[in-house]
Amino acid sequence: MAAALSAVVSAKLGCPPAAALGSWKGSRISSRNLVSMKTMTARRGLVSLRSPRFRVCCAAKAETVGKVMQIVKQQLALGEEAKLAPESQFTELGADSLDTVEIVMALEEEFGITVEEDNAQSITTIQDAADLIDKLVAGGGGKPPAAA
Amino acid sequence: MASRSKLSGIQRQVLALYRGFLRTARLKSPEERHRIESVVSAEFRENARNIDRKNFVYIEYLLRRGKKQLEQLKDPDITGLSTLEINKVYKPLNLK
Repeated sequence: MAAALSAVVSAKLGCPPAAALGSWKGSRISSRNLVSMKTMTARRGLVSLRSPRFRVCCAAKAETVGKVMQIVKQQLALGEEAKLAPESQFTELGADSLDTVEIVMALEEEFGITVEEDNAQSITTIQDAADLIDKLVAGGGGKPPAAA
Repeated sequence: MASRSKLSGIQRQVLALYRGFLRTARLKSPEERHRIESVVSAEFRENARNIDRKNFVYIEYLLRRGKKQLEQLKDPDITGLSTLEINKVYKPLNLK
């Protein structure tokens, strides 16, 4: 494969021996090799489009956001009538860092997920939490907590 | 995000320890779990309020102690934890 590729590359560069080889074997082989290179790059492009990093920026589902709000209210002992926005920061709602840990733990239990240490540190708003939860649930990270 | 990334290493360690306690508490029976959670939460909040944030030696001591206690609590044979509040007994004496 590598030899064939280098032959194609040198053929493209126009080196005389390789060009002779190309004419001798016919253009069929070199064109096939070119096609295979093309498909390789095309596939790599697709994979990167589907990589998890692209999914992070998708907005979380409304019902997830609602559920998160419910749990946050419960954890911070806010009344039912308390108005929460997806952008509300936990610290604005009167949570300290220990409360935030409790919120994340409660969310883990509710959705049956496990939030990694560094991810847990970066959750500061309801939207952050909902996005991460949707990502983890969609990623098959959802396991019943009873198994733990 | 901004407020979070400012946490120092020792603060992260404390939060990780707290998370570890809450995770371990899940493995115990429901009423013990509730008790563990309230004891642990009270302890962390009490210390957070009373200890100077620059008293690293003491905080590191508490971290080590907490980690040991967490290891013990992780043992499946250990079903719960309890605390003795000695301070309450001594308070009247201290006042005099």
